[in-house]
Amino acid sequence: MTALRFAGGFERGATVTFHVDGAAVRAHSGETLAAALLAAGVVALRRSPRDGAPRGAYCFMGVCQECVVRVDGALRQSCQVAVVDGLSVELRGAV
Amino acid sequence: MSGAHDLAVVGGGVHGATVALFCARAGMNTVLFERGSLCREASGVNAGTLTMQMTRVALIPYALKAHAMWASARDWLGHDVGVVVCDGLSLAFTEREAELLTFRAGKRREAGAPIDLVSPARAQEVEPGLGPGVLLAGHCKVDGYANAYLTGQAYRAALIEAGVSLRERTPVSGVAREEAGFAVQTAAGPVRARRLVLAGGVWLEEMAAWLGIDLPIKVLVNQLAVTERVEPVMRTVVGIASGLLSLKQYPHGTVVIGGGWQGKGDRERGGAEIVPESLIGNMRLACHAIPALKNARLARAWAGLEAETRDALPAVGPLPGIPEAYICGSVHSGYTSGPYLARLLAQRMLGTEPADPLFPIDRLLAPAAPPTPVPSAAGRAADEQPHHV
Amino acid sequence: MALPKPHEADLVVIGAGPAGAAAALAASRAGLSVVLLDEAASPGGQVYRAPPAGLSVSPGKRGPDDDAGDALRAGIAASSVVWRGSARVWSVSGAFRVDAVTPSGNESFFAPRLVAATGAHERLVPFPGWTKPGVIGLAAATILLKSQGMIPGRRSVVAGCGPLLAAVAAKIVVAGGAVAAVVDLSGPGDWLRALPGLARRPDLLRQGLGWALKLGAARVPVLFRHGVVAVEGAEACERVVAAPVDTEGRPRGGSLRGFEADALAIGHGLVPGAEITKLLRARHHFDPAAGGWTPVRDAFGRCSVAGLYAVGDGAAVAGAEPARLSGQLAGLAAAHDAGRIPLEAFEREAASVRAGLARMSAFAGAVGRLMRPRPAMVEAIAPETVICRCEDVTRSEIETAIAEGARDINQLKHFTRCGMGPCQGRMCGETAAGLLALQVGSREEVGYWTGRPPLRPVPLADLLGRFDYGDIPVPTPAPL
Repeated sequence: MTALRFAGGFERGATVTFHVDGAAVRAHSGETLAAALLAAGVVALRRSPRDGAPRGAYCFMGVCQECVVRVDGALRQSCQVAVVDGLSVELRGAV
Repeated sequence: MSGAHDLAVVGGGVHGATVALFCARAGMNTVLFERGSLCREASGVNAGTLTMQMTRVALIPYALKAHAMWASARDWLGHDVGVVVCDGLSLAFTEREAELLTFRAGKRREAGAPIDLVSPARAQEVEPGLGPGVLLAGHCKVDGYANAYLTGQAYRAALIEAGVSLRERTPVSGVAREEAGFAVQTAAGPVRARRLVLAGGVWLEEMAAWLGIDLPIKVLVNQLAVTERVEPVMRTVVGIASGLLSLKQYPHGTVVIGGGWQGKGDRERGGAEIVPESLIGNMRLACHAIPALKNARLARAWAGLEAETRDALPAVGPLPGIPEAYICGSVHSGYTSGPYLARLLAQRMLGTEPADPLFPIDRLLAPAAPPTPVPSAAGRAADEQPHHV
Repeated sequence: MALPKPHEADLVVIGAGPAGAAAALAASRAGLSVVLLDEAASPGGQVYRAPPAGLSVSPGKRGPDDDAGDALRAGIAASSVVWRGSARVWSVSGAFRVDAVTPSGNESFFAPRLVAATGAHERLVPFPGWTKPGVIGLAAATILLKSQGMIPGRRSVVAGCGPLLAAVAAKIVVAGGAVAAVVDLSGPGDWLRALPGLARRPDLLRQGLGWALKLGAARVPVLFRHGVVAVEGAEACERVVAAPVDTEGRPRGGSLRGFEADALAIGHGLVPGAEITKLLRARHHFDPAAGGWTPVRDAFGRCSVAGLYAVGDGAAVAGAEPARLSGQLAGLAAAHDAGRIPLEAFEREAASVRAGLARMSAFAGAVGRLMRPRPAMVEAIAPETVICRCEDVTRSEIETAIAEGARDINQLKHFTRCGMGPCQGRMCGETAAGLLALQVGSREEVGYWTGRPPLRPVPLADLLGRFDYGDIPVPTPAPL
């Protein structure tokens, strides 16, 4: 689906569609939201509080909190959320 | 006693630091001892609320003047403690709370706090973040909060500028009376001073015992929690009638949730442990008051120690029978009122009549006899039934 | 207040990587009732992370880690261990109560013994641009490659130190991705010196040499004794700049090398995630070889708090296999301490595990030296570099706070908000403490963040559950 998903060695799940700030993004069942966003080229997930600088997922293992987005209204670490059809994701500005 | 200081202060919280500051500015050669760093116990880890609606009635006149001091900290302290002055609301969600609120707001009003009882609609205008279910609210224009964790940094700079000899990370193991004053015992040897102020918060009991005074001090272990930065969800200080909630959002977006729910700890270990039920109860109360908080994440919870005397009124004044020795602390809502009470003590030590009466500890030293009634004791007795059973 | 029914056990294990899983299995085999909790949906930890439901690794592409992970999961499934996945542990209190947000709400678990097996997180010494999107950890790259079937970017730079460099770069190449360069703080001499130790694990050495060969075949430039000094780009990583460094990782002048890249995977070693032992106020000591502050333990993982055991990389960084053995020892010790294994049998079983662990030490030591903390790198950070990502606190602000009297790490937090954000100081703690140590003399003087709940940020909505106002147990009002 994009250049970052590699072909060899992986059998992917069904295609799912979710929305990021209203725009449809396609991914595969089994992917984490953080990985699906990366694959879709959505790398800037928030703005830092004082400098307003862009920030993106860093650790992908639940530590850094840089990948936190609103998922169906609630703040979630996107690296800990599995994508499912119909997810509504809002990126955060500077908070 | 050549080389002796004019004043030794033991304890570097808001009380000790304020006494040291005003005495040093008035020309006293002052040394301040703190076993850790300045304002890192109750003075640095409290919720920073500067409210009248959780202040004891007997302290309202003091708290009003202290509020004005905090609001003008840049002028007299010279450094910023992040003070925001805003409206405050105390909410009643049940008939019982409405009764309690009416009674308590009335008493505080008599004592000078400008609290009005307002309708739910008016409360909603004051605080658009309020949830449904409010029956009645106390509204006070004199409210606000400081950023408690900045207290030490601000006082530290002010004390150094005032010429106080600052001894952080210097535990004091005892004080001995000498012919012309006191010898403060430290690991590096005794330090002598003509006057002494004990300002050790919950550790005042041990400190008073150094001089043979038996002053029981109760230790409260107050839990606090803070969210990560979130979009604005509120703009006032919000509490409830029972006083067991304090809630406000700082300009940088974090929301501090307190109200005196008890954790575990003691003088030796500090605020050692958070009790999950207490934390969850406190969070439920907070989210009931401000529903948008539910969408925030809890970033950190901690517990700090608060000192309470037998009658829950301050211990501020001379130590009986020991010339030139004083005590300063144990103030309910001590962060709010601390600077003013400590300044009163400094006035007294500098030979001027304090603008308001001190709280001498003689009343607390009577042996087993029942405590002498204090002005607010009647109100307290009538008011002390458990809120929810 | 109606909290869910408590779960009682002889032992609660937090963390289901190789260490925690081994502890749970050893204790369970000895007859203890064990609850095993982890944030992930399946056991395995980071190293043996299970492919998520829906994704699967093709049979021909499976590596030794896939097999080890499957074996671990099969072991837990076949045991009497009570497995609770997707559990976000937020509070550990008393002796012992563990509160976790699970898919069914907040649940409390009680046991007289507790094993903390929470793993490590990555160290990264900041440089200008390290906060830009596209810059990720080496371990993060591994997760993307192994469990998501993704490469970090269209063109990646892989940088830092230790064996993960070659592993990540080679896996990107094998997946068909482009690696612009590998930037290694170590020099060929460092690797030669590590060789005897690495050779004690022939399987892993062979694996590493295989990766190196793949990089050579793909003609990936490898810059030894180099470090990343900047990441440039408007909204995300576009260019990575590397420069020669000395043995301690400090830029030593010399020509800069720039690489166009939209991803940088970088790591400077691992830090034990010892938050639970800190929360429970166990004694800790600073041990650079173990990655930093680590709980004081006996040979079986027993901490200074009775009934508390700490194992794996979350206690002292040593790698997956030593972690497994340390977990096994703690599981045996917990069973012995509970009176379920007689002394003789305990000593016999433990002796063979300890012998295995001793054989690992040369390898772990060699890797540890390659990935050691390098205080000189911290010293070389430029003043305007962001140290605390959550709160945008720069080095110069930290230096100002130090000049204003901050002497320990918690005081520095008060003065600057460094470490007050949602990562709870995990990303900035090592750097901030390193900067403070330069002024006050030692990491011991600086101390560590006081342990505070929640162990990870928790949505308030998850904690609240359903409640009626009247059910909130409001305590007696304060005196009027």
